Amino acid sequence: MDFSLTQEQKMFRDTVYRYGRDEIAPLCEEADLRGEFSFEIWQRLASFGLLGLPFPEELGGSGADILTCCLAGEALGHGGVDGGSVLAWGAHTYLCAHNIYDFGTDEQKRKYVPGLAKGDLIGCMGLTEPGSGSDAASMRTTAVRKGGSYVLNGSKTFITNAPVADIFVVFANVDHAKKHEGITAFIIEKGTPGLSTGKPFHKLGCRCSATSEVFLEDCEVPEENVLGGEGKGWFIALNGVEWDRCTLLSPLLGAAMYNLDLCARYANERQQFGRPIRAFQAVQHRIADLRVFIEACRLSVYRVASAKDKGQMLNPLSAAVSKVYAGDKGFEMASEAVQIFGGYGFMHEYPVERNFRDAKLAAIGGGTSDIMRMIVSRIMMM
Amino acid sequence: MDYQYSPEETKLQQDTAAFCAREIAPRAALLDTCPPERACALMRENLKALGGAGILKHGFTGEGLDMVGHCIAGEEIAKACPATFMSARASAFLCAGAIRLFGTDDQKDRWLAPLLDGEAVGALAYSEEQAGTDMGAVATSAVRVGDTWLLNGTKGIVVNAPIADVILVLAYTDREAGKEGGMSLFLVEKGAEGLALGRGVETLGLRGLPASSLTLDGCVASGLLGDVQGQGFGQAGRLLSLGTVGIAALCVGIGTACMELSTNHARTRTAFGKRIGMYQDVGFKLADMFAYNDLGRVMALRAAWAMDTGEPGAEVLGACAKLFASEGVTKIANWGMQVFAGHGYLAGSGIEKLFRDAKFGEICEGTSEMQRQLIAKADLDRFAPVR
Repeated sequence: MDFSLTQEQKMFRDTVYRYGRDEIAPLCEEADLRGEFSFEIWQRLASFGLLGLPFPEELGGSGADILTCCLAGEALGHGGVDGGSVLAWGAHTYLCAHNIYDFGTDEQKRKYVPGLAKGDLIGCMGLTEPGSGSDAASMRTTAVRKGGSYVLNGSKTFITNAPVADIFVVFANVDHAKKHEGITAFIIEKGTPGLSTGKPFHKLGCRCSATSEVFLEDCEVPEENVLGGEGKGWFIALNGVEWDRCTLLSPLLGAAMYNLDLCARYANERQQFGRPIRAFQAVQHRIADLRVFIEACRLSVYRVASAKDKGQMLNPLSAAVSKVYAGDKGFEMASEAVQIFGGYGFMHEYPVERNFRDAKLAAIGGGTSDIMRMIVSRIMMM
Repeated sequence: MDYQYSPEETKLQQDTAAFCAREIAPRAALLDTCPPERACALMRENLKALGGAGILKHGFTGEGLDMVGHCIAGEEIAKACPATFMSARASAFLCAGAIRLFGTDDQKDRWLAPLLDGEAVGALAYSEEQAGTDMGAVATSAVRVGDTWLLNGTKGIVVNAPIADVILVLAYTDREAGKEGGMSLFLVEKGAEGLALGRGVETLGLRGLPASSLTLDGCVASGLLGDVQGQGFGQAGRLLSLGTVGIAALCVGIGTACMELSTNHARTRTAFGKRIGMYQDVGFKLADMFAYNDLGRVMALRAAWAMDTGEPGAEVLGACAKLFASEGVTKIANWGMQVFAGHGYLAGSGIEKLFRDAKFGEICEGTSEMQRQLIAKADLDRFAPVR
C-alpha cells in the first residue's frame, strides 16, 4: 500500500485551489443565481489549461494522469467553484473530449481534441433519453445507414453543456434487434441539419452548467464520424462510467472540503450564549462527521483513479462504492453544513446553501446510488 | 500511490486468513458460550497458536511498529474470532508494543519474545471506575519504598488480566506534577504480592475474552517501564492513539464475517419463489454492508500507513478510521440481522453473536463521542482566532 501524493501532485493541487478560489469562485454566486452557463468562467478554466488536462501535449493538452485530473476537480471544488461549473468541466473534458481521444481515429482526434482541449470548442455527451436513464440499453434513438452516412432520429435529455456545445457525442442504436450490441457512438457537430437543442432546464443545483434536451430529426452524420466503430457504443458508455466514479466525483470531495472550511471558520466566529458556537458539542460533532466523510470520499475517489492510472483491474464493487457512499452521504453532509449556519445557511449569500443544492446531483447523475446498489448486490449474489 | 496490497501484504493476508480459518474460527462459538475458566484456557491456547504461527509478530517488525501489517493480520483474526483478536491485541500490541517502544533493553529481552511467541500473555491496565478517556483522573498511585515501587488502587476492566503473566499498570507517582509529568507505567507480574484479581466480567459481546478488575494493595511492581519517571500518560496515550486502527480492523473483521454470512443466507433462502437477495429490500442492504465495510478497511489502512510513515495528522486519521469502521459495523450487523430475520435472532445463528460483538467498537478506547471531539478540534483549530 502506498497512499502518498508526489510533491508535484501536491503543488498542482494547491495551485489549482488558489486559482479556483481567487479567479473563478468570485464569479460563481451570481452565475448560480442567474442559473446560466458562464462563458467567463469557461474562459478562465480554459486559460489555466484545465480543459485539456488528460490529453497529450501534441493535441493541446498537458498529459496529466487520471489522479491529477481528480486533484484538479477536488481543488476547484475546495476553492469554492460551484458544482455546475465543475460539471461543465467534467462533461466536456471526460465524457466528450476524452471519449474522442480514447476511441477516435487519428483523424478524429486531430480534428476535435485540440479545439476541445483549448476550450475553443465546448463538448457534451448524449446518452440519456426521456424514456431511458439507468436502463440505457433500452434507448430508442436510431441510426439508419444511408449510403456513406447514418440518419439519426430520436431525442436525448439531461445533456450537460448541450445548449452551448459545439461537439456532441451521441449514442444511437443501428439495430434494435441486437439490443446493446447495436449501440453506436457518433460525433456530431453543431449546425448539422436535424440537430437541435431545447431550452436550458431550470435546475435545483449545479445551475452554472447548461442542460437541455437534444433533438435528432433526420440528422445525417457522415460515416467517418462514427466513434469507435459500429456497435461499440455500449463499451464506450460503460467506460465513461469509470470516469464518473473518479474525475466527475472529485468536485464533490472538493465541495465537502470547502464546506468544512466554511463551517469551521463560522463556528469560531459565530457567538451565541456568550461563546463561539464551536464550544457546543452538537456543532463539533457535525464538523467531525464532515471530516470523516471527506477522508472516506477521498479514498474511494483516489482508489478508482489510481487503479485506472496503473492499469490495474478495477474491482466493479469498489468502483460502485464511491457512488453508494459518496452520493448519498455527500448530500447528508451538505445538509449538516447548512444546519451549522442556521438561518444564514438558508440564504443564497452563503455558499453552504449552494453546496447543499449542488450535492444532490451526485446520487443521481451518472447512475443513481440505487443503481449502484443494484450492481453491487447482483455481483454479491453471483 | 498504490491502493493494492504489495506481494508481501497479500501473503500476510492470505496466510493469516488460512491459519485463522483452520485454527481459530472453529473455536469461536465455544468461546462465546463456555464458562470463564474454560474460556481462559482456550484463549491461552489461541494466543499460543497465533504466536507459534508467527502471526503475533505482525505489527512488530524491526524497531518500530508496523500498523499496516497489524491491520491486515488483525482483520483476519477478528473475522475468525473477535474476542481472540482483542486478547491477542492486548498482549502483543498494547503490552508488548509499549515495552517495544518505551521499555529498557532488559525489559525487551525479558518480555518481547515470549509475548510475541504467545508463550506469555500481557495486558495494559489504565482505566478505572472514574477514569476512561479522561486518563488523568486515575486514582491509582505508586510510592517508592527503597528500591521497590508499591502500587495502590483499583483498575476497572482489564482485558487479559485473568490470564496475564505481565500487566502494565498506569499510576500517579507525583500527583502535584499533574498527568503530563506525574504518571508512570509499571510492570506487574502474575502472582505479585498485593495483586488480586476481581471477578470476571460478563459482557454483551466478545464473550470468552478474559477480563477482570484488578486490586492493587501495596502491590509490588517489578519495575518502572523504561528508565524515566513521569512519562506514563504520554506513553499510554501513544499506544491508544496508534490503537485506533486496530479497533477499526476489529470492526472490519466483524463486518466481513457479517457480510459473508448474510450473503450466503440471501443466496440460499427463498421467499415467494425468489432468492431473497434478488429483492431490493435485501440486496441493497448487502450493497450497503459491502460499501461500509470496504471503506472501513481502506480508512484503517490509510491511517495505519500515515502512522507508519510519520505523516502529520495520522492521529486524526486514526480517529476517523475508528469512528467510521465502528459505526459502520453496528450498521452492518444490524442489516445482517434484518437479512436473517427470525433465524438470525436465535442463539447459535452466527449473526446473533456478531451483532453482540459489533457494539464494542463504538465504546472501547475512546467512545465515538470522544473521537468526534478529537477530530473536530483539529479542523476548528485551523480557523481559531490568533490571540
